[in-house]
Amino acid sequence: MHRSNDEDLALSKRAARGDSAAFAMLVEKYERSLRAFLSRAFGSEVADDIAQDAFIKAWRAAGQYDGRARYSTWLTRIAWRCRLDALRRHRREDVSEPEAGDLPGMSAEITDMLGRLSESERAALVLCEGHGWTHNEAAELLSLPLGTLKSTVARAKAKCRKMWEGAENA
Amino acid sequence: MPDEFNRFLASALAPSAGLPDRQFVGRVQVLIALDERLAAQRRLMIRNLEMQLLALAAMGASAWWIGRAEPVASLFERSPAVTLAILLSLFALLVVLLGRRPAAPLSKLNGS
Repeated sequence: MHRSNDEDLALSKRAARGDSAAFAMLVEKYERSLRAFLSRAFGSEVADDIAQDAFIKAWRAAGQYDGRARYSTWLTRIAWRCRLDALRRHRREDVSEPEAGDLPGMSAEITDMLGRLSESERAALVLCEGHGWTHNEAAELLSLPLGTLKSTVARAKAKCRKMWEGAENA
Repeated sequence: MPDEFNRFLASALAPSAGLPDRQFVGRVQVLIALDERLAAQRRLMIRNLEMQLLALAAMGASAWWIGRAEPVASLFERSPAVTLAILLSLFALLVVLLGRRPAAPLSKLNGS
């Protein structure tokens, strides 16, 4: 087991015993990357709500984290389920697919590129190319067969490359 | 070998390094404290409900047992309305007595 997993497991165990200070350390450690992923995949207007929801669920389920996966992977899985639950709740409403949101330090170029991808393409691309997830981890999160995930990433990357080259040549 | 586009993509999609957003962390902590309070209230309500159901079951069993006794059974045969009125009065008295049980102080829920 990775050393960081051990530390996170210890903090999560303390959180499961009701130690909110230990959990605050986990929130401090992972809020930036989680919110960055959510904002890029689902849009900044919903990212913070999903992140808050995910952290509350992670607090309630702190005892279930066993340290086998990275804490960030476990947390992102919870956030992904929160997003799916929110979509199910609003299924009857006419909810258009959100566009990638702006983040401080995120260029208009990448925002525009991500905005032209589907939600699953964005999620797969951000996780695999930006957050260092393995294809296996991303496939599991997105409930896609490994081959489909790989082709989704490749397709998203090709689309971005085309846009990038178009912008470079313009 | 990563080309320029790959480098651009990796740097553009990587989570930005920096200090944690204290405001966000604080908001999560407040929500967790609220969640804990609500969970404590829920547990208390369930415990109270269980106690009340148990009390009702005990009263029902008592009424049934009393009703089986010879004097009560004969009284019920002679004037069921009076017997029923007596039993209902006893039941109401017990409900009032149970209802007087003080609720848990709010400070207990607040943890102070």
